[in-house]
Amino acid sequence: MVSPEMQKLAEERAARMQAAIELKEPDRVPFLGLGGDVIAAYAGITAHEYEFDYEKNRAAVIKWLKDFPADSATGGLGGLDNLTMSVAFVDFPDLANQFFMVNGPMNDVLDMKFARFPGRQLDANSSRQFIGGKNMEAEEYDELIADPVKFSYEKILPRISNNLKDLGSPTSLAAMARLGMVKAQQAAEMGKLAQALAELGYPRGGGMTYAFAPLDYIGDHLRDLPNVVLDIRRYPDKVKAAAEAILEVLVKWTLQGKAAGAKTASFPLHLNEYLSPKLYREFYWPTLKEYILRVRAEGMNSRVFCEGWHDPHLDTFLDLPAGWGYVALEKTDVRKAKEMLQGHTCISGGIDVGVVISGTPAKIDEYMKALLGDMMPGGGYICGPNVGNLPRETPIENIAAVYEAVEKYGKY
Amino acid sequence: MRDELLKSFVDMDEQEAVRIARELIETDGGAAAVLDTCKEAMEEVGRLFEAGEYFLSELIAAGDMFNQIMEFTLPKLQGGEVASIGTMVLGTVLGDVHNIGKDIFKVMAEASGINVIDIGIDLPHEKFVEAIKEHKPELVGMSCLITLGVDSMKRTIEVIREAGLRDDIKIIIGGGRVSQAVMEHVGADAWADDAARGVRLSKELLGKE
Repeated sequence: MVSPEMQKLAEERAARMQAAIELKEPDRVPFLGLGGDVIAAYAGITAHEYEFDYEKNRAAVIKWLKDFPADSATGGLGGLDNLTMSVAFVDFPDLANQFFMVNGPMNDVLDMKFARFPGRQLDANSSRQFIGGKNMEAEEYDELIADPVKFSYEKILPRISNNLKDLGSPTSLAAMARLGMVKAQQAAEMGKLAQALAELGYPRGGGMTYAFAPLDYIGDHLRDLPNVVLDIRRYPDKVKAAAEAILEVLVKWTLQGKAAGAKTASFPLHLNEYLSPKLYREFYWPTLKEYILRVRAEGMNSRVFCEGWHDPHLDTFLDLPAGWGYVALEKTDVRKAKEMLQGHTCISGGIDVGVVISGTPAKIDEYMKALLGDMMPGGGYICGPNVGNLPRETPIENIAAVYEAVEKYGKY
Repeated sequence: MRDELLKSFVDMDEQEAVRIARELIETDGGAAAVLDTCKEAMEEVGRLFEAGEYFLSELIAAGDMFNQIMEFTLPKLQGGEVASIGTMVLGTVLGDVHNIGKDIFKVMAEASGINVIDIGIDLPHEKFVEAIKEHKPELVGMSCLITLGVDSMKRTIEVIREAGLRDDIKIIIGGGRVSQAVMEHVGADAWADDAARGVRLSKELLGKE
C-alpha cells in the first residue's frame, strides 16, 4: 500500500526532473543519486548474488534507497545491451523489448559471447561486462542494408549466442522456451520491486525506453568498434545506407517502448568519442538527429548519454528544437556545455566518480559546492554522476558527503 | 618517396600509403626507410591527436595502416635495424576484460620504439609480478575501462610493492576512467586517458623526450 505522503513525494520528484528538462528552476536541483556495484557491497552480498538472486537484489536496492534517497531510483537487476535480439524480434512488440537487456539468469539460458557475468565468466565480485567483437564481415553490408531484421536474425543471432547457433535445433528451441520461463519469473520479481519503490516514494512507470544511434548498432554488435571506424573510410556509402536502414527498425522498436508507457528515449552513445567532428556530422549525427526528431514527433523526449569526450560534437545539439530533452555528460566539461546549451538543452552529470572514489568528505563537499554553484543558476540542470557505476570499495562516507552536499547546496 | 609515404600516411590515405611502402621497400635500404618513415608518421598522427586535430578514428586508422605495412616490412629488416628505447609490460587489470584502448595504445607505443610485452586482460595481480620478474621492463602499463579497475589497479600496485619490485619500474595507468586523482589514489607514476598522451608520457618516463 502506497501512503499518500509517498505518492506526494513521487509526484514532487517527477515534477523536479520534468522542470529541469523543461529548462526551468525547480524547488531544488533534481538529483539522480549514486549507485552501481557499491549497492551490493553495502548490503554485504557479492556481485554474483546481486545479479542472480532476485530477493537479495531487491533487499539490497531497498536498503540503498532508504539510506541514500534521490529523485530517481537506481539499482535493480541490470543487464547488458542485447540489441541484436530486439532487432531480430522487432515484429513482435510483446517480445522485442523483453529481450533487450540480457541479465545474468537470461544469459545462463542464451550463453551470449559478448556477456561476462560475476560468478560465471568473472570473479564473484567483478562487474558485469559487455565485450565487443566482430560478428559480420565487410562483404555482408549489402545483406544488412537490404533487410536488417532478417540479417540480424538469420546471420548475427547464431553468431553471438552459443545456444542459438543452430536456429531451429532442439537446443535453440529449448533455449527460447527457457527464456520465456525466466522472463515470466522476472516479470513477477520486477513487479515486487516496483511496488517497493512506489512505497519509497519513487515515481511509477512512465520511465525510459532505450534507443541507439544506428551506427552504434553496427559498431557494438556487428562489425566491432575499430572496424566500423575503418569501414567509414573504406566503404562510406555502404555505412551510410546501413545506418539509414537500421534507423527505421530502431525507431519502430523505441516507439514500442512508448506504447508500453515510456516517455523518454534513452540513447547511450558509444562511437561518438571516436569520431572527428567531420565524420560525426557526416556519418553519425544525421541518423541520430532524425531518430530524436521522429520520437519527439510521437511525443517523447530524449536523453542522450555522451560517453567519453563529447566536447567537439556538443554544438550539434543546437540543430534540435529547444527543450528536446537532455544530455548526460561523462568527461565533457559540464560548465562549458552549460555556456553553449543554456536555454536550449538540459544538462545532467557533473559528479566525477573518480573524485567520489578517491576524495575525502571535505574535498567532496567543496567540489559539490562549486559544481552546484556553477550549474544550478538558470535551471535546466540535473545533478548526477558522470558514469553510473561506483565500485564496491567506494568509501561510504564519500557517498554520504555527496548526498549531504546536494541537500545543503541544492535549494533554489 | 619517403616524403610521399609520410604525407599519404599522415593524411590517412591508406591505399596510397600501402602502395608507396611496397614500392619503397624494394629499393636499397628500403625496409629500414619504410620503418623509420612509418614511425615518424605515427608520431605526427599522435601530435595531431594531442593538438585536437585528429581523433580516435584517426589513431585507429593509423594503427591499422602501420600494422598492414609492418606485416610486409618487418620480415625484410636485418637484425639490429629495429631499435628499442625500452620495454613495457602491458595489461588490463583484474576484473576488466576490455582491450580496445590497450590495443590502440600498444601499436602506437610499438611504433615509438617501445618493446611492448602484452600480457592480456583480466589479469590476476601476480601475473604482473611474474611478467616483471621475467621481462625486467622499465615500464608497466595498466589499463582499465570500467570503474572497478581503479581499485584493481591499486591492489596490483600494492602486490608489486610487496614483491619488492616497485622501485625498479615506472607505472603508467591508462583508460577511460583514469585521472590525476585516480593516479594519486592508486600510487602510479603517470596517467593517460588517450593513447597519444600515454605514449608521450611513457617516453618521458623512459627519459627519451
